[in-house]
Parts: sequence; C-alpha cells; structure tokens
Amino acid sequence: MKLNAQLKEDTGYSWVMARMEPASPFGHALVRTPRWYGPGEEAQLEEELSRVEALRTLLDSGEVALDSITHILSEFHDIRNSLKRPTNAPMDEVELFEVKHFLIHLERLAQVYASIPALEGLEIRPMTESLDLLDPSGRRLPAFSVENAFEPALERVREEKALVEGLLRQTEKKGRDDLMARRSELVRKEDRLELEARKRLTMAILRERDTFLASMEAIGRLDLLLAKARLARRFYCCRPEIVDKPKVVAVDMVHPEVADHLQERGGSFTSVSITLERGATVITGANMGGKSVSMKSLTLNLLLTQTGFFAFAGSFSAPLFDSVSLICTDRQSVEQGLSSFGAEVAALGEVLREEKGKFFYIALDEFARGTNPREGAALARALVEYLGRLNCVALMTTHYDGVSDAARRHYRVAGLGALDTAAIRKDEAPLDRLSRLMDYHLIEAEPGEPCPRDALRVCRLLDLDPELMEIFSKNS
Amino acid sequence: MTPMLAPLVGDAPTVTFIGLCKNAGKTTAMCRLIEELSGETLAMTSVGRDGERTDVVTGTEKPEIWARSGTLFATARGMLPLCDTTLRVEGVTDVMTPLGAVGIFRALSDGYIQLAGPSAVNQLGPLSQTFRALGAQRVLIDGAAGRKSLAGAEAGATAVLCVGASVDGGIPFIAAETAHICQLFAAPEAEDPVLHAALDGEVGRYALFSPTGERLPLELEPSGQPAWHALPREHCVLWIGGGITGPLLRTLARRGAPLTVAAPDATHFLCDRGSAETFYRCGGSLMVARRLRIAAVTANPWSAYGKHLDGPALLAALREAVDVPVVDVRQEA
Repeated sequence: MKLNAQLKEDTGYSWVMARMEPASPFGHALVRTPRWYGPGEEAQLEEELSRVEALRTLLDSGEVALDSITHILSEFHDIRNSLKRPTNAPMDEVELFEVKHFLIHLERLAQVYASIPALEGLEIRPMTESLDLLDPSGRRLPAFSVENAFEPALERVREEKALVEGLLRQTEKKGRDDLMARRSELVRKEDRLELEARKRLTMAILRERDTFLASMEAIGRLDLLLAKARLARRFYCCRPEIVDKPKVVAVDMVHPEVADHLQERGGSFTSVSITLERGATVITGANMGGKSVSMKSLTLNLLLTQTGFFAFAGSFSAPLFDSVSLICTDRQSVEQGLSSFGAEVAALGEVLREEKGKFFYIALDEFARGTNPREGAALARALVEYLGRLNCVALMTTHYDGVSDAARRHYRVAGLGALDTAAIRKDEAPLDRLSRLMDYHLIEAEPGEPCPRDALRVCRLLDLDPELMEIFSKNS
Repeated sequence: MTPMLAPLVGDAPTVTFIGLCKNAGKTTAMCRLIEELSGETLAMTSVGRDGERTDVVTGTEKPEIWARSGTLFATARGMLPLCDTTLRVEGVTDVMTPLGAVGIFRALSDGYIQLAGPSAVNQLGPLSQTFRALGAQRVLIDGAAGRKSLAGAEAGATAVLCVGASVDGGIPFIAAETAHICQLFAAPEAEDPVLHAALDGEVGRYALFSPTGERLPLELEPSGQPAWHALPREHCVLWIGGGITGPLLRTLARRGAPLTVAAPDATHFLCDRGSAETFYRCGGSLMVARRLRIAAVTANPWSAYGKHLDGPALLAALREAVDVPVVDVRQEA
C-alpha cells in the first residue's frame, strides 16, 4: 500500500515524520517514501522492529559509536545524479571529488558500524577497490585532483609546464609572449590527458553503479533506523506486537500531535485503550469528547506499525492489513464541489471497490452525518452490518442511535457523565473549562446502548447565549 | 616590482576590493596586490561573477587573474573549464550559484583562474574560515561593482576602493563621489563601551539604544518597519541591520531631531551623496559596530565607454578630495 498525502495529514503521520531527524540525504529520501509491510511480510517487519529495538537499547546505554555514526551520516552528499549519466560523459573534478568523498565516508561508516553489535539484515560494506582507484596513494585525504598516477604521460607535461611557469616568473615583458604560447600548448596537452584520465575513472565508477546504489540504500536504511530509534526514545513508544488474528489491542494510546498542542496550552492528553475485532467497532459519546482523536490515534499507530515504527502507546498489538484507510470530512473534495456527504460516500465506495476480498482496516469519522438524520442513521447502521460480513476491522464514530447494536463492539466516551456543576469556574476560558471537565476515557458499553445526551451541557460549558440556552433546554 | 598596495593594506587578514562603478579597475588592483604578495599563501574569491576575460555586462576587455601555485580559490563549478591551472578540489560548499555549487580549489601550478564565488555576504565568513583552515594567510575578495556587495567586516578587515572613469560626470563628480564613500567608511565605532558592546552583539533588523547603550523600546509598524514618527525626540542610536538607503536617511532627516544611525559595518551604507548630506545637515550621524578601513583608493582613468580621463588630473583631484592614499596601479607598475 502507498500512503497518500491526505491520509498522512489526516492521521498525523506527517507530523510524526516531521519529527524524524535523519542525518543523510539517503535517510531523508526513505522518510519521504516509507516501506509498507503487508500480510506475509511479518517476519521482515519483526526484523525491522528488532533492529529499531537494538538501536534504542544502544542509545539508552549511551553508546558513543552511535554519535560517530550520526556524524558520518551527516557528512554524506547526494551523488545519485552524478551516477545517472551515459558512460561516455566524463565526470568533472568536482564530481570525482564527491565520489571520493562518498567512498571515504562509506569506509569510515563501515568501520564504526562494525564496532557495534551487528543489526541483522543490514550490512555496510566499504567499496575499497573503487576508493583505491580514486586514491592511488591510499592516504584517504579528502582532496581530489587528477593525479599523475592516473595517466603516466601527465607527469612529463606537468614538469615541462612548471619549468615554463618558473621561467615566466623571472621574465619581465620581453620574451613573455613566447613563453605564454609554449605554456598554452602544454595546458592544452594537459587538458587532453586529464580528460582521458577522467573518462577512464568515470567508466570504472559507472561499472560499479549498482554497488554504489546498494550502498546508498544501506546507508539510508541505517540512518532511518537510528531516526526511528531516537523517535521511539523521545516519545516513549512501544514495540508493537504483530499478531495473526484479526484483533487490534491498544493500551494507553496517545496521539502525539494532539498531545503536543495540549501541552503547549498547559493541558495533558488522556491516554485511551480500545480493543477491535473483525467487523465494526462503534464509538459514541459527547461532542468534544475526543472520539475522533481516539480514532485517529489508532489509525496512526496502525500506519506506524506497518511502516516499521514503534507505536505511541503503552502496548499495541495488531495484525498486518492489506490497507489502512481513514474516511473523514475531506476538505479538499469539498473545495472541489462535492458535498461532505458526497465526498464520504465516494471515498467509501473507492475503498470497498479496491479492498473487498482483501483484509483491510477502515476508520470512519461520523459517517453520514451530513445527510438527514433518519436516512443517515439507517445508512450508518447498514454500513456497520455490512462491514461485519467482510474480512476487515472497522472503527466508526457516530452520534446516531441504533448503530451500535449492529456492531461487534461498542465504546462510549466517559464524557461529562459525572459533571458537578459546582466545578464550573466562571473565570475560565470556555474551551479550557470543557477540556478540564471532560473525561476522555473510552468505556466499553453494551451494544445498542443509546448515545449520551451531552449537547446541552457542552453548549452551557461553552457559554452559549443564556436566552438561546433557555429555549434549547425547553425543547430538548 | 615596487610594492605599492601591499604596504597600504599591511597585515589585514581580509582585503576587499570595492568598485565605485563597473570597470573601476578592481581586478587590476587585485592582480597588482597578488603580485606584490607573491610570498604569501593567498585565498581569493569574488562576490558575483568576476575574473573573466571579457566583461559579461559591458563586453569590454577585462584583466584575468593570474594565480601562483598554492593559491586557494573559491569559484562555481561551471567556471572550471575556464581555469587553466592544474588544480586540486579541496572541498565543495553548499553555496549554489547559477553556475553550479561553489567549490574550493587549490592551484597546483601557476595560471589563470576565474572567480565566481558566493553572492551573499553571510556566506563569506564561513568561506574565509575554510580558507584559513586550509592554510591561507590572507583572503582577497573581488567585490561587485557599485558597492552592491557587502565587504563583510572581519576584525581588521580592509577595503581598497577602486575608482574608474566609467562614471558619468567628469573628474569633479568622481572626486566628490569618492569623498562621499570615504566619509561613509570613516563612520566611527561607538566610544561608549556599553553601547559598543550592545551594537557588537546586535543581530536584529532594527533596535534602538540610548547614547549610553541602554536598550530603548522601538515601536514597529505592521510591515515590520519602525514607526519613524514615534522615535524619541532626544538623541538616540538607531540600529539598522540591513541596507541603509538614501530615501531612509531623508525620512529620518525630515524629523529634525538628532539621531545616530548604526550599521554592522560601512558596506551597509548604500545611500547617495545628496541624502547623506541632508541627513548630516539635520543633525544626523553614522556609526558602525565594526570599522572597515579603506586602505587605499585606486584610480583608473581609462573608461569602458571610451571617454578616457586625464590620468594625472584625476589622481590630483582624488588626492585633494580624500585623506587616504590614492594610487594609479597601472602607471606606477
């Protein structure tokens, strides 16, 4: 599965990726195009997670070699463009310098990498032959020049040129022109010989193009693994457990982006726990009760798990799905002229067309809320029933009654249930007050249990006009 | 060769060649100094493209730079085919130009080099450091014409102001313009130690200080510019981190209250002569965080546009107008 930009944005995956700090251009490229581990690739994913875990353990123990590795990674330049050329187009001195620079750093990286416990399935090998070619003296200095050793005839031409230049230094005006003409001739010869040498070096480098590309891939993977391990440490993430049954269990899960916003405002995130099984799970509850955030947290953690990251939770276990999708009000489609209902239905239709017959996860945020409540509720209920027949794990939030009784599991937000009106402080900003009094925990509920009626209290906490509130409470 | 510029620049670690106009003879002056300093390991770069045989803008013949073996230089990758020394690539910077990334090279033989270094002044500092790490004893910077480039004042940095005949208006005009630039560069550093330290550490675009270095509140417009009318009436020091233009000085002059405008160094003063004079007349003065000394003025009577001037007359007029030494790098060569 390829992660599209909308899904990354909606779930907060992009936010997490923006906190990744790969050091090399090759690591950056891999962060932009994360590898997806689908069903059948459990073993490879476990290997990847073990590598992240091993690096995290090394980071915890303060392994200094990792600092050296990070430093070397940050020294790499992206030379992929220099390798994309026909073999008869010689590299210039700067490109050859860059190739040598790459090879020297690859050699150093391989040395330091060998000093830490081996990560299974990831090898960093030096390209000694290619480096020796560009560094015939073997001194491993960073500078590069077309040395005499590359082309035996160069030495004589250069010696002669140096002789002429020495004479030029001692010659005032008279006789300079002849010397300059002689020098020009030698410069042209030197240029021709240098060109021949550069052609030969370029051909030799391009013969190893595949090894170069494989090395860059390996460097990028090491860089990405380190970034994953550092991320897991920074956010206290857990290694997800990969299971072979259609059951997702998230314990004390957080959404890092929302948690970050809350922390900035002086609040804290209430972690949530939820279990999903084959078929649809429904979350009901008060407005502003965090239903959507819980759903996004779960979807985000599934995406992270299936791209080889640790999960933002106390513990997290899930099977591997063929695809993970999230359907919520899609601003882009609405801007393109679809109604929010139309956009949802179109997106759902596409997922069902693509994924029917496969094993998939789908999350739907207040599906069908944009149409009339009667039909909307009927459609939402029908969808829950239908998803129950497919090979999928689904999560849906809703305000409609009569939807959860068709669901496999039903959760409700604890909400304002135990609200004590004495706790309302007048001097508090309405949103702060609401988030202080709201209990965001998910509580397992009976299927069919009616949706809580919290709208009135939410409006009151948000300081809605008292006159309007009076009419509202009479009518409700 | 009789040393002419070398004694004037002394031990300055960085020498920047600034042109009063295009074809002011910057490269000629730089080549002269290179020859005079042949015993030193020099590093050189330019701000904007320079060193090419024919000037790209005016199509006139330009002197090339002849570097000695061992010289370090920074130039864009696209310039390499035009350099005929044997060379070694010492490094590649992350400065990009239309002619490719700027690389750092060492000439392994004598020969012609072409300079096209970074165009932003803040890229010159790190470049100078790299040069020094590679063993350079002195850095020469070929600045762009019309003082558009900032010289970047390291401690002890020196400038050579190159004056050419390619300015319209004849000798009296050229002399007056030269005097104007020299006056701008004569702007002093703060005498008050507290103010000196405050200006030295200032990195903002605008800031306001009392003459004794106390930071004062500065009201900004939504555009980010200071609210000029709200500046205090008593004497204060206004720090401007960017270019200081003629219209800006005229705006400040119109307030009719004493004000010192402080800049990181004199290359930030981009104001014309008339505006500066108006500003001084209304009680304004200029100040710098770091003084950049003009070591010499070089005169080039030969114009790119054919209107050559009388060499001795130009020299005499310049010597009359300014206090710094004036030399003719061609005639006395």
